[in-house]
Amino acid sequence: MKETKLGEFEEVLLLLVGILGEEAYSFKVAEEFESQTKREVSIGAVHSTLNRLEEKGFLESEMGQATAERGGRRKRIYTITASGQRALETSRDFRVSLWSQFPAFATGKVNFG
Amino acid sequence: MKKRRHIPPPLAERLLQRVLRDDLAEEVLGDLEEKFYATVEQKSARKAKLNYWYQVVNYLRPFAIRKSRLKNSNTQAMLQHYIKISWRSVSRQKAFSSIKIGGFAMGIAACLLIALFVRHELSYDTFYQDQGAIYRMTNQWKEGGEVGRWTNLQGPLKTVIEENVPEVDLVARTVLWSWGNAGSNLVRKTESNFNIDEDGFFYADPELLSILEIKMVHGTREDALAEPNRMVISQTIADKYFSDENPVGQQMVLNDNPEDTYTVGGVMEDFPLNSHLQGDFILTLFGRKSGPGTSGWCCTNYVFYTKLKPGADPGATEQKLLQVRDTYVMDQLRTAGKAGLNEMQEHHSYYLQPIADVYLNSAEVNDNSQHGSLDLVWIFGAIAGIILLLACVNFVNLSTARSIQRAKEVGLRKVVGSVRSDLIVQYLSESVVFCTIAIFLALIMATIALPFFNSLAGKSLDMPWFEWWFAPSLLALALTIGILSGLYPAIYLSKFNPSEVLRGVKGAGKNTSFMRSGMVVFQFAVTVILIISAIVCQEQFRLIMNKSLGYDKEQVINILGLNTLDSAKKVALKNEILSVPDVSFATVSDFLPVDGGATHNRNYWLAEERLLNNGFEAARWTVDEDYLDAFGMTLVEGQNFSGMTSDRFNIIINESMAKQLALQEPVGAEVIDMFDEKYKVIGVVKDFYFESVLGTVEPLAMVYGTGDEVLSLSVRSADIKNTLTALSAVWEGFVPNQSFKFAFLNQRFEQMYGALTRARTLFMTFAVLSIVIACLGLFALSAYMVERRGKEVGIRKILGASVSGIAALLAFDFMQLVLVAVFLAIPIGWLLMDAFLGDINNRVELSWGLFAIAGLSAIVIALATISIETLKAALTNPVEKLRSE
Repeated sequence: MKETKLGEFEEVLLLLVGILGEEAYSFKVAEEFESQTKREVSIGAVHSTLNRLEEKGFLESEMGQATAERGGRRKRIYTITASGQRALETSRDFRVSLWSQFPAFATGKVNFG
Repeated sequence: MKKRRHIPPPLAERLLQRVLRDDLAEEVLGDLEEKFYATVEQKSARKAKLNYWYQVVNYLRPFAIRKSRLKNSNTQAMLQHYIKISWRSVSRQKAFSSIKIGGFAMGIAACLLIALFVRHELSYDTFYQDQGAIYRMTNQWKEGGEVGRWTNLQGPLKTVIEENVPEVDLVARTVLWSWGNAGSNLVRKTESNFNIDEDGFFYADPELLSILEIKMVHGTREDALAEPNRMVISQTIADKYFSDENPVGQQMVLNDNPEDTYTVGGVMEDFPLNSHLQGDFILTLFGRKSGPGTSGWCCTNYVFYTKLKPGADPGATEQKLLQVRDTYVMDQLRTAGKAGLNEMQEHHSYYLQPIADVYLNSAEVNDNSQHGSLDLVWIFGAIAGIILLLACVNFVNLSTARSIQRAKEVGLRKVVGSVRSDLIVQYLSESVVFCTIAIFLALIMATIALPFFNSLAGKSLDMPWFEWWFAPSLLALALTIGILSGLYPAIYLSKFNPSEVLRGVKGAGKNTSFMRSGMVVFQFAVTVILIISAIVCQEQFRLIMNKSLGYDKEQVINILGLNTLDSAKKVALKNEILSVPDVSFATVSDFLPVDGGATHNRNYWLAEERLLNNGFEAARWTVDEDYLDAFGMTLVEGQNFSGMTSDRFNIIINESMAKQLALQEPVGAEVIDMFDEKYKVIGVVKDFYFESVLGTVEPLAMVYGTGDEVLSLSVRSADIKNTLTALSAVWEGFVPNQSFKFAFLNQRFEQMYGALTRARTLFMTFAVLSIVIACLGLFALSAYMVERRGKEVGIRKILGASVSGIAALLAFDFMQLVLVAVFLAIPIGWLLMDAFLGDINNRVELSWGLFAIAGLSAIVIALATISIETLKAALTNPVEKLRSE
């Protein structure tokens, strides 16, 4: 069985795919990643991770429309699967549970300024 | 479709199409093209092309690369085969291989560490944006082909430069020596009353922040120091004192003196480790009313930093400065009563020292800063190279020594159809494999050894795991060393004639033994030289530590931080402390005969010669009547300060100053200084070293007066712990709001020679390392030889040879080589050490005994290494060896 844990980068990409919807293909995901996180990333790195997420069954993909700015080539559009959704929720619930055990946070004393 | 002007780089596109899986080609090329045009729009065509290449390179990932191309290819199959064979030959002879790889790894690890060190030393002050425009301004004195340079300049020169030298964009003065509050101080926040001892204070003009591009966390470079009594503190200090508030605008009091209250004007990032300038508190020189910042043309108290305008030529600027000096400065100096101005006109000029040169100080500028040593960088570079060479030599040696084992393999391969070039490739790839394993091992070793190395070298280096160049350069290293050290064995092995080796005619190659002998000689020669270096450093260190200094460094304890007490309290404290048992004398002063004490130099003349010449420079110490006794210094003539003679116009001079004055009878002579103060000499103190023992004792004049900062005690105690507790208790009673801080004088003294101590330890470490590498090689060689001569040994024993006779016979060959190495190494070591020590004072004698020790220890170690195998061979039952036919 494939590893079903989500890495940080994987989790972010999975969320970005969800956010982008119909526009979720490697180039757009990479662009969105850079603009949201202010971190540089290569399309290759994104593509390889999307590919891995697909192998794990968190994403599925199909070839979409061809457009002029890509030299008339089609793009691969990714969509989140049900198990991808579940993985995201598990990951979020885990964080939330950790946060709620953090005493400073629970009493509202923590200061993020 | 719109016509496009720019297209993605075709070469990159073709490359991608070649390596990419076919089913991915469409989407990937599409994505990259979209990215390309987006980048053209947002940035530039050039950026877009570069980015395209970057993206293509980033697609070289396992998931995306087509696999079919390389499958079933003959080259790949052969490569796999070679690697498999290498692995088999490694695992067949585990001990031999682990010596081969382990020795190699050790060498590489040592090299890595040294490379890190050298890189760090070379990286000082190379991180500025305007790198080429930042200079330190220094004086230059050219006379008779000799050039001397030093930093200190007159304060008012700043304004003169600003007004008259248009090439200069900014200029700032700094006070980096212990004047005013520069150096260390007791600090407290205004609302607290507990004083804490902090180091790293210096004064600077506000412009310094911009010149040195100091990164500000709070406040701006322009404003942070631009008002009187402002200071900038480092991030570390800000976190320590103002962890929960904004430090800007807060006040801090220095030395419990309300007049020395400073307002924090800004917080800077800590100085990078590779900046020559270090410090945590920058006090402003702006608007000061006394002390630092106010001195006039009389005195040279400031180190100047400057940033030139873009495009300004430093050479031309130096000329301009010289003109400015002649038109504006000379008159001022004349008014200030400077002598020797004509000489100055002739020989003096200015030199702009690029900021990156300050740390290693290739221009040999005399200053107060910490410097790395360019020599040390070279020496270490050389040692790294040599150790790597030793490791490679071992590798070559061991590979060829075992050639007999591989000879049949070579013969068979040739019969089956291998050509020579194939065999060379095979052995090269084998040594690259070895090398890669060795480098991995080396990385592990280096990481483990790094903390020790750091404490040896006095640095805090890190492994640069995540630097972009690290992995590629390791890879390059593996390839280069692998190929270099594999070349000779590869050529040698591939030369075998198949018909001979398969018949078993060809022996283990007599013709390689010369080469092997040469290598053993080389290894041991290097080892002996390193041992000599380590011993010489050790002896030099011992000589310094046991040198009679003219004062008693073993008996003195210094209590620090008295500057917060008023003078009445100081006297009271001193008296109270004198009542502690075992304390015989106590003196409060600011001058210690070790580094880190204050220094004030003035020029002196005999009173009647004041206007005749330049006089000579002498240190000027203010001490009281107990000083000489507390430090155990002896008067050779005249008397000490006491009662009648405790007058500020009486001085005690040292023998060196008496010599300078050239008087038969120094006591009673009248001396005058550059401020026209007249003194009468009342005593002559025996010369004592107050600067480095490696230099000479300079002239020194002691004036009567009370000190401020350090209470020095002469203590003769059997139980020093008890005495310290007693002292601490007295201190607590007097100054409850400040912790008791003390230092033994002999510790301070040892710290002065830290560079030498470190050189000693490093030489020692590397000597041991090179011995280990050389011995590993020797061990493996002797093991091999014993194996080869096993039958001979057996027959000799049967015919009646004794155990010791056989052991001697086997050891003889190697010991010959080691002896040759020792005799080669001794003269080389002598020359090297002679140059290394140079013309320092109190130099250790390079005696024969020292070289004999180095040579003997190498011989003994070598003998021990060889005898493990030879004895084993000599003791085996001959039947064991002869039976196996």
